[in-house]
Amino acid sequence: MGDDSAEARDKNWRTLMRAAQDGDGAAYSRLLCEILPLLRRMVARKWRGAQDVDDIVQDILLSVHAVRHTYDPTRAFMPWLMTIAARRIADAARRSSARSANEATVETMPETFDADETKSEQDRSDDHGAIEHAMSGLPQGQRQAVEFLKLKGLSLEEASAATGKSVTSLKVTMHRALKAMRKALEEKR
Amino acid sequence: MRTEDLIRTLASEAKPVQRLAHPGWRVAYWLSISLAYVAMVVLIMGTRSDLAAKSGEARFVIEVAAAFLTGVMAAAAAFCAGSPGRPLWERFAPLPPLALWLGSLGEGCWQDWLRAGPDGLTIQPDFMCFPSILMVSLVPGALILMMIRRGAPTTPVLTTALATLAASALGAAGLRLFHASDASLMILVWQFGTVAILTAFGALFGRKLLHWPERPVVGSEADALATRM
Repeated sequence: MGDDSAEARDKNWRTLMRAAQDGDGAAYSRLLCEILPLLRRMVARKWRGAQDVDDIVQDILLSVHAVRHTYDPTRAFMPWLMTIAARRIADAARRSSARSANEATVETMPETFDADETKSEQDRSDDHGAIEHAMSGLPQGQRQAVEFLKLKGLSLEEASAATGKSVTSLKVTMHRALKAMRKALEEKR
Repeated sequence: MRTEDLIRTLASEAKPVQRLAHPGWRVAYWLSISLAYVAMVVLIMGTRSDLAAKSGEARFVIEVAAAFLTGVMAAAAAFCAGSPGRPLWERFAPLPPLALWLGSLGEGCWQDWLRAGPDGLTIQPDFMCFPSILMVSLVPGALILMMIRRGAPTTPVLTTALATLAASALGAAGLRLFHASDASLMILVWQFGTVAILTAFGALFGRKLLHWPERPVVGSEADALATRM
């Protein structure tokens, strides 16, 4: 892309962003759609082989949204966007390395995997049935906590946002739910 | 959630926002309120009796001016760091006055050494410095920490460090006007030391104070989860 067209593009985005800051949803939507392929390319380039490119792109878009008042329309748009994108990509890299510290990568699965299987299909479906039964005995609030925190894998903060309950109360509810389920499972056995 | 859906949601939530003022204006706003407060504290504590004589001394003037300028430049740098896409050199703006401040204190130590030998460089405990600087920089500090939260958290640790440096350097400059302690080494250890500790403390809380929004479980997703119950 030549300098002229890059400049024209930036000028266009500057205008759209200024309108977005003034509350023009259509201009904002157009701007975000136009920068989307660029962000995807940037994330994919810095983040080789990642399946969660769009997760990071969404983080960048949410961050852009949260700090859109910090853009100064008298300045170029790209450096503003690129600074935010670079920060968010670096944050994602940090999160990912923290996560992978707790995981082991297995390159080749053991060939005897099948032979070592300790549970038959029947056992598995029995287990599911027992857990479902234990869950069905829970009061509604506790069941919701199990569903959000264990089945959906939400964090306490996310579950708190979704249910409107405090983090502390969710922790207590979760603790009680697990205790009740454990008891139900033991009784069944 | 698909990214295209997210864009639609964000666009529908695009309320008009108040643009962040130019860093220059923000410094002016911060400085006017902070200076009024520092002046009030200095008046309440009572200016040092030899202030008139001191203000004729080049080293005293340079030292206080350098501390004050360090505060102003650090505030400007903190505000610039919260506006993404601004040039990187702006973040180093407090370095020249900071070097001048340290240099004037170092030169003072040297002069004390030439004048009195080892006796000129004694360190006594001065427990007034830390609480005094803290007191003078309380309002400037609270104000600037509130103000930088309006900016973008692109460099949280550096931004809060610069903000606390701004407030504490201003506090140190103010302290010189009512606390009659002139031995350069004492100032270096107790006053500059306090500024350094407060700045490090500010850096420590950077990530706590300034962070990007957590990805929310947005509207429709939360509804979908809730209705499945």
